[in-house]
Amino acid sequence: MNNRTRTIALGLFVVIGMACAALLVHRIDTLRPPEDPNAIDESLYVNGKMARRISLGFNGLAADWYWMRSLQYVGRKIINAENLPIDRLEQLNLKLLAPLLDTATTLDPEFIDPYEYAAIVLPAIDVNEAIRITKKGIDANPNAWRLYHQLGYIYWQQHDYRSASEMYGRGAQIEGAPAWMEAMKAKMAADGGSRATAREIYTRMYEQSTDDKVKDMAHKRLLQLDSLDQRESLRKLFAAYQARTGRCPSSWKEIEPVFRALRIGVDASGAPLDPGGAPYVLRACEVELNPESEVPAK
Amino acid sequence: METTAAITQSKTRTESRQGKLWRIAAIARNAFREAVRDRVLYNLVLFMLLLTGASIFIGELSGGQERKVIVDLGLSAMLLFGVFIAIFVGVGLVYKEIERRTIYAVFSKPVGRGEFLVGKYLGLCLTLLVNVLVMGVGVSLALLYVSRGWDPLIPTIWPAVLLIYMELMLLTATALLFSSFSSPALSALLTFMVFIIGHFSADLKSLAASLGSTSARWLFTGLYYLLPNLANYSFITPASHGRAPSLEFVFATALYAFVYIAVILAVATLVFSRRNFK
Repeated sequence: MNNRTRTIALGLFVVIGMACAALLVHRIDTLRPPEDPNAIDESLYVNGKMARRISLGFNGLAADWYWMRSLQYVGRKIINAENLPIDRLEQLNLKLLAPLLDTATTLDPEFIDPYEYAAIVLPAIDVNEAIRITKKGIDANPNAWRLYHQLGYIYWQQHDYRSASEMYGRGAQIEGAPAWMEAMKAKMAADGGSRATAREIYTRMYEQSTDDKVKDMAHKRLLQLDSLDQRESLRKLFAAYQARTGRCPSSWKEIEPVFRALRIGVDASGAPLDPGGAPYVLRACEVELNPESEVPAK
Repeated sequence: METTAAITQSKTRTESRQGKLWRIAAIARNAFREAVRDRVLYNLVLFMLLLTGASIFIGELSGGQERKVIVDLGLSAMLLFGVFIAIFVGVGLVYKEIERRTIYAVFSKPVGRGEFLVGKYLGLCLTLLVNVLVMGVGVSLALLYVSRGWDPLIPTIWPAVLLIYMELMLLTATALLFSSFSSPALSALLTFMVFIIGHFSADLKSLAASLGSTSARWLFTGLYYLLPNLANYSFITPASHGRAPSLEFVFATALYAFVYIAVILAVATLVFSRRNFK
């Protein structure tokens, strides 16, 4: 066997060997017992302080890793509930999210995104942890006005409008904070529970956030607010129709001309469309969201 | 007559100093060539692959934080690769010469042991300099790619790169010191331990402050000042947030590195000059 033949034979052997190894790996994967779904919820072995201590100057990279792990953790759980807004994840049992975000922010206290993510996602899971992590972010980054906005948002969700107003007020005093922070302070104090305040909050969140998921959540909440306004108007229409005819409309067709006059979009059956473009459902003098609608029901 | 003698003496001294520098430069050049021949710079290929992969895929995983992740990943890899080179190449610098018996040929010429050590040290420092410079350019290019144009983080990573280089210079000197009297395996282990302890130096100080016993307090305070404080050279995380160290800070850390390296090389020369190669 000359040198060339030997090289070709060895090359072929390597290729065939690697192909066999890949086939075997594939076979082993099918034989492996299914993974325990609770395994991904196993508690973290090291807390943030310890992780920072042992990171040997690689704390920034370790923080990035914990941050990406938080996103993957939520992403894996959310995969089967795609239409769920990220501020309504309470049913997904995300018990590891708070420790993951806490560790990421302990490793890199100036990393703003995990604090903001905690402020948006955590209140539905553990509101005290959400407040604690956001406050930790404010302590580490006293000039980050966006964190005051996020903490104000958490308090607003808890209907604690006084604290929310205080947070917006404190944030407004920071150099570089937008003028609407001051306006939000007044709005929270005077009319915290109103739909207008909610609209203002989600509009600002949509404008300020760099995270696509947060933007998407804010967008959905804005659609929901528009839909609430629409449904309120529709109920008024039903009431007027009932007063005039003594009965509820049995189909959308009966009141379609009114929609046309009010320039409300309708589909082929005459049903008015919600802000997401799905037709509303008429049920005994009550208007409901279509189950297919992208507008969140809650 | 006396003036002529003084001039001759001064001239001889200047020539001797120039000769010394020339010999150190020659040894450094050879150490650098040896490192290149040993394919040490091949790690740059791995680094580039890592950064290219990160630039393309990290955007998907990091929730819009790809710029921060690229700086953290790039500078951390720079430090890690540099530490491995400083340790594993550093401990072999002297040992290989002894093992191959080429050291006899070197010392048969008018080369001092201190000159030999300093030359070897500077050669590896030159290798590391090329390494960090290319890696720094790589990180900058990755930032240009992910930002689709100029990125304000690019100028802020270079002071962090400089600090990483100083840390690597300190570690190289430490590796050389250990290799001047012990085996490569032990030297690598000891240098790696210095790297770890160097990043725990702040803990040594707080440990000393929290101890009740005076002798223990003295011991840990002594260790804090004796061991290299490498935590001062960790500026990767602030750099990823666009923060650069002050000029005064860079100057102070550079001075500290210079003094510490000079001390370590002096000790290494002292140990090495007493070593018997027979």
